[in-house]
Amino acid sequence: MSNAPSDWEVVIGLEVHVQLHTRAKVFASSPWGFGKEPNEQVDPVVLGLPGTLPVVNREAVEKSILFGLVVGASVPEHCSWDRKNYFYPDNPKNYQLTQKDFPVVVGGQVEIELPGASRNVMGEHKFIRIHHAHLEEDVGKLSHAGSGSLVDYNRAGVPLLEIVTEPDLRSSAEAEAFLRSLVAMLTQAGVADCDMEKGQLRCDCNVSIRRRGAEKLGTRTETKNLNSISSVRDTVIYETARQIRELEAGRSITQETRGWNAELARGYVLRDKEDAHDYRYFPDPDIPTLKISRETVARLAKQVPENLYDRQRRYVEKLGLPYTAASVLVNDRALAEWFEAAVAAHPTNPSGIANLVANDLLRDLAASATAPVSLESCPIKPAQLAGLVKLTDEGVISKQQAKEVFAEMFTSGRDAAAIVDAKGLRQNSDTGELEKIVQEVIADPAVAKSIAEYRAGNEKAINALKGPIMKRTQGKANPVLIDQLLRKFLA
Amino acid sequence: MAEGFDIDHLAKLARLSLTAEEKVLYSSQLNQILGHFQALADADLPATIDDARVVNEAALRSDEPGPVLGAEAVTRIAPASRDGQISVPRVVDDES
Repeated sequence: MSNAPSDWEVVIGLEVHVQLHTRAKVFASSPWGFGKEPNEQVDPVVLGLPGTLPVVNREAVEKSILFGLVVGASVPEHCSWDRKNYFYPDNPKNYQLTQKDFPVVVGGQVEIELPGASRNVMGEHKFIRIHHAHLEEDVGKLSHAGSGSLVDYNRAGVPLLEIVTEPDLRSSAEAEAFLRSLVAMLTQAGVADCDMEKGQLRCDCNVSIRRRGAEKLGTRTETKNLNSISSVRDTVIYETARQIRELEAGRSITQETRGWNAELARGYVLRDKEDAHDYRYFPDPDIPTLKISRETVARLAKQVPENLYDRQRRYVEKLGLPYTAASVLVNDRALAEWFEAAVAAHPTNPSGIANLVANDLLRDLAASATAPVSLESCPIKPAQLAGLVKLTDEGVISKQQAKEVFAEMFTSGRDAAAIVDAKGLRQNSDTGELEKIVQEVIADPAVAKSIAEYRAGNEKAINALKGPIMKRTQGKANPVLIDQLLRKFLA
Repeated sequence: MAEGFDIDHLAKLARLSLTAEEKVLYSSQLNQILGHFQALADADLPATIDDARVVNEAALRSDEPGPVLGAEAVTRIAPASRDGQISVPRVVDDES
């Protein structure tokens, strides 16, 4: 689906709120986690009760810095917290602790990959700049029931990193690709889990349009609180179409805050600029400015995993993997590392290993395990898979037999070689015995026509001779060896 | 309304009953106070780091979960509650 007819260009900026992977809350020691009874994860600091003081959680700061290092941002020497004042019962203190002037992360960029023409073809790559990221506290959850509203403060105070992009995105596809890339980077670095079903990633989406070629940005709208990648995509498509319709009808765009109804797939106005909040930001007097040592930054830099697209390029260029397999492997760091452990055990055929991992292993894991698919419970270990590929490469078993052995390995967790022996699958590689059979088959008048064709230059005609050889050996002849012997005798 | 605020509304929010004289007096005083803040707000002051209140990472807390109050204690200190949640007048920032 195209976002904009050719004479309009859509300009998108995202604010992505990510719950950081910590055990305790960001300014309080209260634990947090999904699925607890209401208000069971609340302490006096979360409620802002008199006499309490917030103290910043080291892990939340370090996870924020780690994110900055993952996207190549700078980590300023100082960061500080401000109060964002507003009156709404989702926040017990009447202000949210956030970072306005001195955020923990400044700059950086996220590489994205757009969908290719087909699944087998890599799409265009682009870099989306990050303006900054700031560490703040999440707010409580309201549910509306009849004439009243109910408040659960379990989520209040959960560490939230707000990642703000530059207005660099130009289509719903780019917004979607950006979020997928960002989620992969955050999860692979252990910064966040980004489970959208648990509300661990939410997005505000700024959209404006302008005539193609125009430099000045159009008036933008902000659609708040989108809790899935598909909602962001649909919002961009909806908002682009709506703004084009307005402008082409001679009306103007109002700067406004909007909501998104995913069920009805339509947006709606929350408030326009006239009743925009004045948050009266001021530096929080309870939390001193934090100086971040360069030693901490250097220590965290060592935890930055290989960027997924650097890994993908390495797999394709250095290991010779097809794009299809490489792109599947790099999306999951544990899977990529599992694959690399197998390659280390049998370095000569990375593609053979990648094929089994990306297709057979993932399929069987998905079919056997309850979600999410976990490699930890995988019955096959990397070295065992490498052993199977090695047996196939050496011609001990055929590719067809390898599938059978794989299935058996997945059920029993036994080594490939043990299964091959137990099942008597080992191919006949006794050259002397095979030479005899090959010569007998060649002498059979029934195949004379095929031999003549092969000698006349028809390469494929040689295959007609392999069937009878296989039949005489009950399918145990090493196909690589048969091919070599046939060519030798027919030369 | 010259003041930029509604004294009756503010009094209501603060749960105060004011006489007519008090309304005049407090409106004038509040205007003076707001005037001071306006002067501060009008000053062009870039954000700066206050060196006097900088701490290093030793001032951070470790990521160790501590005790919680429990829903029973949380709802007990709220004016109204229901099913372990704090009950408030209906607030909707939503599609109407």
